[in-house]
Amino acid sequence: MVKVLHYLNQFFAGIGGEDKAGQEVLFINHPLGAGAIIQDALKGHDVEYATLVCGDNYFHEEEDKALQAIQAAVEKFKPDFVLAGPAFNAGRYGLACAKLCSWAREHWRIPAITAMHEDNPGTREIGRHVFVIQTGPSAAAMKESVKLFSLLIERLLANDEPAIENFRLEHCLPIPRRFTVRSDAPDYVRAADLLLAKLNGQPYESEIPYVEARQHPIPNLLGDLKDATLALVTEGGLVPKGNPDRLESSRGSKYLKYPIAGRADLKRGDFEAMHTGYDTSTVNQDPDRIVPLDAMRVLEKAHRFKKLHEYYYVTTGTGAMPTKMEEIGAGIAQELVLAGINGVILTAT
Amino acid sequence: MVLITCLSNVAAQVGVGRIMGGSKFHYPVGQPELRPEEELQWRVSLLAKGLNALETPVRESTTF
Repeated sequence: MVKVLHYLNQFFAGIGGEDKAGQEVLFINHPLGAGAIIQDALKGHDVEYATLVCGDNYFHEEEDKALQAIQAAVEKFKPDFVLAGPAFNAGRYGLACAKLCSWAREHWRIPAITAMHEDNPGTREIGRHVFVIQTGPSAAAMKESVKLFSLLIERLLANDEPAIENFRLEHCLPIPRRFTVRSDAPDYVRAADLLLAKLNGQPYESEIPYVEARQHPIPNLLGDLKDATLALVTEGGLVPKGNPDRLESSRGSKYLKYPIAGRADLKRGDFEAMHTGYDTSTVNQDPDRIVPLDAMRVLEKAHRFKKLHEYYYVTTGTGAMPTKMEEIGAGIAQELVLAGINGVILTAT
Repeated sequence: MVLITCLSNVAAQVGVGRIMGGSKFHYPVGQPELRPEEELQWRVSLLAKGLNALETPVRESTTF
């Protein structure tokens, strides 16, 4: 007996569109939509197939409740496989699939399979050991994606490690995450070997994939600096004392903004830096050494520019994935544009 | 945008438009060995230079 539990959103379960996006979690004791095709492909096995349906908005607005309901269903049904999607490029659906699969894999060690397009924001929430089948951006890729679900299940049932690894290489999205792997020599030996190969002009390959920075056009100031509103931004992790919003000191996942209107400078004791990438003691003694508010106030008074923005923006720029940092940078930039900011001074450690 | 950093080579590699060298890696806009008034004066002159950079149109990564 093989038990498969398949998660679908309201749309792919055939319940409704945006009007049903608030649908609570439903447990249905038979396949729906793509599930029927997967069940059919697995007909050589004794399969019991059930479906979980949840509205895209419900999952995100009531994530705790949704996960509780899903947990109850998993504990009752005891699936051997958890499937979710395919979500293609549907963002809310992809995020729900990613979170559910990561959660199922992490808590119950059940093989978890989802499928989505590489640009789906769900790819950023994928946990360890979750299979993410690569799909096209739209449901036009449905037939092909669904076939791959059943192919992978067949290989997992056969416990055929090389075939599973081949499947991963051929059909799964490379999720850029760090994993623990065993190697035959300690790091210092491998590092010395790499260096020797380089010095001897032999071919060598870094163990850490090189991420090519995407080039962006360079914006120039529009208009006169005298009429410009400027903002201070830093990756140095400077937050109010006590870190009220819990900015991470490494692998930052967010950016924050703090008011500076009416302040002439940043006083020692009022702010502190959250950052494991540098010695923060000198900055903590005088926070203007990372967010130069005092100097900008002098130049503002001298009418070198019109006005300093009433908030400064901060994140922690250490240990994080470039993709996450790109997202954070874009978020800050968008807020600044909406606030009518003309230029930025960015301080980095 | 002007980036003030001590890792200007990294900034240039990733294509930042306007780059200015900071004072030290762990306090790019500080000079703790100066007296507070002198340090502020130094910081004002550094930021004034930064504003000049901000006004300067560039087409490729430029270190000021």
